[in-house]
Amino acid sequence: MDRTETQDEFYRKVAEEYGAALDRMAYGYEAEPDLRRDLSQEIHLALWRSFGKFNGRCSLRTWVYRVAHNVATSHVIRQAKSKRNAPVFQSLEEAEAQAGGESVEISADRTQALARLFALIQLLDPLDRQVILAYLEDLDAESIAEITGLSAANVWSKIHRIKSVLVRRFHRGGRDGL
Amino acid sequence: MGCDELPDDLKILWKETGRDRPVFSPDQLRQQTEQMRAKRRKSDMIGAAVMVIFVASYTIIFFFTPNNALTMAGSILSVLVCSAWLIDILAKRRRVAPDPAEIDSARFYRAELERARDNHRTLVWRLALLAPPFILWDIGFARIFAKAAWFIEPLMWFDCVFLLAVFAVFGPLKHLKSMRKYQDRIAALDSASRSNVQ
Repeated sequence: MDRTETQDEFYRKVAEEYGAALDRMAYGYEAEPDLRRDLSQEIHLALWRSFGKFNGRCSLRTWVYRVAHNVATSHVIRQAKSKRNAPVFQSLEEAEAQAGGESVEISADRTQALARLFALIQLLDPLDRQVILAYLEDLDAESIAEITGLSAANVWSKIHRIKSVLVRRFHRGGRDGL
Repeated sequence: MGCDELPDDLKILWKETGRDRPVFSPDQLRQQTEQMRAKRRKSDMIGAAVMVIFVASYTIIFFFTPNNALTMAGSILSVLVCSAWLIDILAKRRRVAPDPAEIDSARFYRAELERARDNHRTLVWRLALLAPPFILWDIGFARIFAKAAWFIEPLMWFDCVFLLAVFAVFGPLKHLKSMRKYQDRIAALDSASRSNVQ
């Protein structure tokens, strides 16, 4: 197989395996549907182009998430530049305070719970956003550290904060948020 | 029901979204790459064309219209400033943006913030440098042609005030503010990474 064929083959495999996760990631970075479609396309394009130089020094999953998050970060910075009243990125705690309102019951109103989750994520600084999105995709701290370049201890501490915020903001039926 | 289990519920809810996988074929992506390149080339060409028009206009004015010391100085400086801008636009095409595949996300984020900050910093100086040559030329022109028509002098003064406001005050201030916003973000990132090391 020549290089172009390998590149196409890698891309097909990744689109099949990670397509849904990449789509969710785009939701985490962009609230507007049209811009989200553009971002999604941009991510796929960057991935396809990147496979021309994929060297196998890290796992395919790490490569995919790293490229996708980096492209999404560029998108977020570009949008913050072009939108006049673009929100300033916030820390997890600041975003939680701004989100306000009561704790949401997940099982009773799944749409509202999801909307609340996206609203919270979309206020965050890109690095915190990457950690929370990767955490929601079930990636462990070591993998997140490899993608972000943060230390594993730093990622652990971020995940711990993320969990506390999520527990405060959401609850199951029959109990209040803590 | 322990609260520690709660994020799992959220993870399940999270994975219920994103069921629409956008599908692109490699051929579509190849086509898009070409379209993007063409779009970037076009926008660079437009910027370069505007600067070429300015350079050409002030060169023609310098050689073929009545001049005094102020219009001559204004023309020469305008040609120099616009040429520098033109060279910068052409050089920008060769500047390499951070590669999303090559560096980890934390370094990529910092590099993108630096790039945004540097773009605004460049614009502060470019705009501020553009005002004096144009203003010099306006004043010189008003002196030469003041007696030709009553409106020329007030028109040139109005133009000077406009150029001063846009190029020397509001434009640079706007970019300075944006530049500081990115610089503060970089400083916050650095301080967070320092505290994590400690």
